[in-house]
Amino acid sequence: MRRRSTSSASGNGWPAMERRKTILICDDEPALRELIRASMGDGFEFAEASDGIIAMELAREVTPDLVILDLMLPRLSGLEVLARLNDDEGLRDVPVLVITAWNETREDVLAAGADEFVTKPFDPDDLRSAVNRLVAA
Amino acid sequence: MSHPDTRAVSLRDRMLIASVALAAIVVGVFVATILAVSAARTATEQEARSKNLSVQALRLEKLVLDVENGVRGYAFTRDRRFLRPYNAAVRSMPSERRNFRALAKDQPLQAERAKHIDELIGYYIDTFAIPVLAFRNTAAIELAYNNVGRTQAADIHRRFATFISEENALSQDRERAADSKSRHAMELGVVGLTGSAILILLFAIYLARGIARPVTEAAAGAGQVAAGDLSIRLSQKGPGEVGELTKSFNEMAERLQATRNELESQNAQLRESERLKSDLVNTVSHELRTPLSGVLGFTKLLLSRDFDAETRRHYLGIVDAQARRLSDLLDDFLDVRRIEEGRFERAKELVDMATLLEEEAQLYSQQSPKHEVEVEIDHAPLAVIGNPDRLRQVIGNLISNAIKYSPQGGVVAVIADRENGHVRVEVRDEGMGIPLNQQSKIFTKFFRGDAAASGITGTGLGLAVSRDIVESHGGRIGFESAEGEGTTFFVELPGVNGVKFRQGHDDDQS
Repeated sequence: MRRRSTSSASGNGWPAMERRKTILICDDEPALRELIRASMGDGFEFAEASDGIIAMELAREVTPDLVILDLMLPRLSGLEVLARLNDDEGLRDVPVLVITAWNETREDVLAAGADEFVTKPFDPDDLRSAVNRLVAA
Repeated sequence: MSHPDTRAVSLRDRMLIASVALAAIVVGVFVATILAVSAARTATEQEARSKNLSVQALRLEKLVLDVENGVRGYAFTRDRRFLRPYNAAVRSMPSERRNFRALAKDQPLQAERAKHIDELIGYYIDTFAIPVLAFRNTAAIELAYNNVGRTQAADIHRRFATFISEENALSQDRERAADSKSRHAMELGVVGLTGSAILILLFAIYLARGIARPVTEAAAGAGQVAAGDLSIRLSQKGPGEVGELTKSFNEMAERLQATRNELESQNAQLRESERLKSDLVNTVSHELRTPLSGVLGFTKLLLSRDFDAETRRHYLGIVDAQARRLSDLLDDFLDVRRIEEGRFERAKELVDMATLLEEEAQLYSQQSPKHEVEVEIDHAPLAVIGNPDRLRQVIGNLISNAIKYSPQGGVVAVIADRENGHVRVEVRDEGMGIPLNQQSKIFTKFFRGDAAASGITGTGLGLAVSRDIVESHGGRIGFESAEGEGTTFFVELPGVNGVKFRQGHDDDQS
C-alpha cells in the first residue's frame, strides 16, 4: 500500500507562511494508519507505506519531516528500515517515532536510532504531542 | 539356564582347575626327577658293590692261596712258620666267605658261581688242607698235593678268574647304567623344570590376557562412562564372569545412552515448547494490541473531538471491525482449548462444498485488492457430511493464509473436484512458499516460522485448528510447497453421492 495524501482541510485557517510538514506513516494495518492520520488532525501531509520496501522508496522520494514506524513490517522489518534511514545521507536527520506492539525496551529502540517510542495501544493525544515535539525540534 | 559355550565354567572354577593342573604337573615332574635321581643312585651303589665284590673275591682267593702255600710249605719243610699265614687264613676264612656270598647275592648267576666257589673252598679245606696237615709221610703229602690239592686249587683259581671277569663285566654294565640313569635324571630335571616354567608363564599370560586385560579395559571404559562418553563399548570376551562383566557393562552403557538420549529429546521438546510459549506471548501481545489500538484510539478520538456524521460512522465502522477481530482472536484461542479438551463441536449436516467455496472466495477477494481469488469447480455440487461453520473456518483459514503469505499479491486459486469418492479442495498461491526446514512444523500449535519477523499477522493456530476439524470429519489435510514459488494446500473429505440440494444442482456423478 502506497499513498500520498494531504489532510482533508487544506488551507482552512492555517497560516500559509509555513510549508506543511510531511509525515511518512509505515504500518501494515490500514486501520492503524487511519488512526494515526486522524490523531494528527489537519495541518500535515501524509505518505503511507504498508511494508518496509515501500517505506524506503517513499522516504527517498518525499524526504519526510517525520517517520512514524511500526517495527513489525512485511518484507523489510522496522528495525531494518531504521538502519537504512540512518545510513542514508539525506534521511539521517529525519526524526523517527517508533510504534510497536512487541516487547522491545525503550532503550533498545532508541539505541537503534529512533527518536521517540510509543507502544500499542496508544493515546491519540499523546501521539500528537510527541509528533509535534519532534517536528518542532 | 545353561550357557551353550565354555563360559558356563565359572571364573573361580577355571582358576582352581588351572592352578591344580599346574601344581599336579609340577609335582609330577619333581617326582619323576627324584625317582630318576634315586635310580641313578641305586645304579651307582650297585656299581660300588660290584667293585667291593671283586675286591672281596680277590681277598678270598688270596686266603685260598695262603692256605695252599701254608699246606705245601709245612708239608714239605715241617716248619711251623709256614702255618702262620695258613692259620690266619683259616681263622678269617669263615667270615670272608660269608661276606663273599652275601655280596654276590645281588646277581643270581654270580650268586650261583659264588656259592659253588664257596663250596669248593669248603671242600678243599675239609678234604685236602686239614687231612694233609695230619700226614707224617712226606711222600703221601706230595702225592696228595699233586693228585688232589693242586687240581682243586687250580679249579678254584679258574673259577675265581671267571667270577671276577664276570663281575668286572657286570660292573662295567652297571657303571654304564648308572651313567645313563644320572644323565636321564639330569635331562628329566632340566626338561621338567623348563616345562613347568613354560606352563607357569602360559598360565600368567592366560591370566593377563583373559582376565587382567578385559578387566583393565572395563575399568578404562567405566572411567570414560563416568566422564560422560556413553558410546564406549567393550569387546565381549574373557572367561566366565569376566565375559559376563563386559556384557553387563555394554548393556549398562547401552541403557544409559538410551536414557540420556531420551532425556535429551525430552529436554529439546521442553525447550521447544518454552520457545513456542514465548513466541505465543509475543504473538498474543501483537495480535491483541493492534486491534485494541484501533478500538481505544478511535474511541478516544470520537469522545474527545468533533467529527462530521460521515467520518464518525466511518470511525465507528473501524472500531466495530477491530472489535470483531479481537473477538475472532478469542474464538481461535477457545478453539485451541476445545481441541485440547477434546470437546470440539461436531454437529454435522449435508454441506455443498462448491457453494461454501464460492462464498468464502468472494468474501476474501473483497478484503484484498492486490489478490485475485479464482474458483475452479467442474462438478457441482460437492456434497460432504460436516459442520458448515467449521468447514467454512478451514477454507477461510486456507484462503486467508494464501493471501497473507503472498504479500506481493497475485492469484489465489481455489480448485475443487471429486476424486476416488472424496471431495478434494486445493488452495494454491503464488506466494513465498514454506522453507523446507519448517514444513514439518507448520501444523504445530503457535508455530509461525519466519512469519512474525516478516510482519505477517497471525496466531499460529489456524492450521492446527484446521487439521483438527478436517480429521474430525474423517478427512486429511496437507500441502506442497516450494520456497519462493508458492504453496498448495489440499483438503480431502469423504464425499456423498446422489444428493440433491434445494438450490437445484443435479449431482451428475450419480
